Amino acid sequence: MTRPFFKAAAVALALLLPLAPAVAAPFKLKAEPKIAMVIFGQKNDGGWSQAADEARVKMEAALDMKIPAVDGVKENATAIRPVVELFIKRGYNIIIGTAFGYSDTFKELSEKYPDVAFLNLSGTTNGPNLESVYGRTYESQYLCGMAAGAVSKTGKLGFVAANPFGVVNWTISAYELGARKMNPNATLNVVYTGIWNDPVKERAAAEALVDQGVDVLGQHVDTPATQIVAQERGIYGTGHHRDMREFAPKATICSSVWTWDKALLPEIKKIMAGTWVPAPNGALLSMAKGGTDIACCGPAVPPAAVKEILAERKAIIEGKQIYAGPLEDRDGKLRVPAGQVLSDADLWKMDWYVKGVITQK
Amino acid sequence: MFDFLVNWLANVPIFALPYALAALGLIITEKAGVLSLGAEGFLLIGAMSGIGVLLGVGDYPLLALIVAALAAALLSLVYALLVVTLRVNQVIGGLALVFLAQGMTGVIATRAGWTSRPVAGLHNVPLGSLAEIPVLGPILFQHDPLVFATVPLVALVAYVLNRTMFGLRLRAVGDGPDAADAAGIGVALTRYGAIALGSALVGLAGGYLAVGVAKIWVEGMTGGRGWIAVALVIFARWQPWRALGGALLFGGIEALIPRIAAAGLALPQYLLLMTPYLATLAVMIWICLRQDGRSLEPRALGVAHMREERR
Repeated sequence: MTRPFFKAAAVALALLLPLAPAVAAPFKLKAEPKIAMVIFGQKNDGGWSQAADEARVKMEAALDMKIPAVDGVKENATAIRPVVELFIKRGYNIIIGTAFGYSDTFKELSEKYPDVAFLNLSGTTNGPNLESVYGRTYESQYLCGMAAGAVSKTGKLGFVAANPFGVVNWTISAYELGARKMNPNATLNVVYTGIWNDPVKERAAAEALVDQGVDVLGQHVDTPATQIVAQERGIYGTGHHRDMREFAPKATICSSVWTWDKALLPEIKKIMAGTWVPAPNGALLSMAKGGTDIACCGPAVPPAAVKEILAERKAIIEGKQIYAGPLEDRDGKLRVPAGQVLSDADLWKMDWYVKGVITQK
Repeated sequence: MFDFLVNWLANVPIFALPYALAALGLIITEKAGVLSLGAEGFLLIGAMSGIGVLLGVGDYPLLALIVAALAAALLSLVYALLVVTLRVNQVIGGLALVFLAQGMTGVIATRAGWTSRPVAGLHNVPLGSLAEIPVLGPILFQHDPLVFATVPLVALVAYVLNRTMFGLRLRAVGDGPDAADAAGIGVALTRYGAIALGSALVGLAGGYLAVGVAKIWVEGMTGGRGWIAVALVIFARWQPWRALGGALLFGGIEALIPRIAAAGLALPQYLLLMTPYLATLAVMIWICLRQDGRSLEPRALGVAHMREERR
């Protein structure tokens, strides 16, 4: 036998090893459960971080215990590590993170502290004591897309988004699918700002869309600038993260909202009970399991449409799939064959849009 | 297409203005020989203070802009103390100031609850019948007061720097502090003044960004525009009018990119995003290749002044 053969065999073995069925031993806490939260932005930011903090308060009530939090913890190891390690030193053994950028540091910390349970909202890493949790935001954005399609007179909708990757692209296509359910000719113009919290760029994008004749604005960025522009220009808007009526009461007809307490409480109860086995690829939660929900609908949405939206919401909770086949992308390529549903792996790497979505190449 | 062009050009001034004011402020500071890498920090302080006035005091946008400038000037005295009196390395001092401002604005705005609260902000003041002119009206004459004030401000700074005794002294301090000192010009005092005045303009730019453009405060909202202003000053070779031209180029591209996307035009946006930086690089290369290229750069830029006998 030749050396290349050994090399090939070694490589094949190395590739196969992770596929071997892991022994799914439930995680056990070694001491009384103490929960702490590490929040990415300011806890009164009006969006993502505030949604996490509001869930924390609800969980405190539900569990009848204090859940301390540190906010404004940026996405780098030197910021995250001291906060988490201080909590652990003080005996906290369930740590909840709230950022995509915590993924690697949480992985590293979960290996260093195997007796501590780690949960990370919007993370990408997982392990025997680490689970990333995210919501199927396309379900709620689909419903808000329906509201947008129902109130639009021009059939031209606009969307302000941060960066074109899976979680953003799936909200955009779902929004358009929802809009087309109410108005088969609805189109969706998307502007990417390239950044999550630059209200100057978001406003520029929103204004540009309104100048192009768009009469409903959706968004998947971190500030309410888009809704505020909608209100100023006398059109409608739909929100993300939290109920945006707080910032633009007249314009906001629907918001996709996080329901993290509903998502996290069952996980935490399992951790406390000693039956928690983190999902090996993370938990991608549907509306029924507390992924996201909607705050709907503003008075501008006609009653018949509201009825239809709520019926669809019920259907989604009962298992209706947004990305069910047959589904073609905007170039006519079949992406989901009839009778099938887009897999989670394909969702995460989604780089295509459904018909009616207009973006830059 | 024509509407698209008019619409775009009408939006250029509000995007160009923060760059123009910030660059103008940096030119004043740097002409006195003080490198100012703290621009991003002064922008943040200005932006947060402006919104703070609107949310805390009332709907007075002009007061908000004045407070934005004053707040930045006040903070700049800390920087002046560091680099002029204590002769701290100006690169490090500038960077430290940015971090200080980032943390400070985050803490203050969070405690005060100013994050994500919309404000009415600056309103457009159409210039009477001039604003009615087709095409030119919307592009030139339907803006907020600060847009109208910018061109005279650039002219004023250019005049003061190049044509007055005060400007001559300031430039002397930036070109040859030892000689200026020997001639009886107070180097430290001039530099303190240049830092405060220049930073006030950067703060005004930050205030405008929040009060006039975004009409909202979120943490870190200046998005690196201070660093672009630093590049813009090099691009403009420390000349106010060129800085205005550069600001129009940078702002024009910033206004254009979302509009292209909104119109669904297939243009390479990443290439467009690069153009201001490519232009800055091109200018720097061109300066290096020219024999007299460095003549416009303040010769003592970044050098702390120390009297001869104390060396």
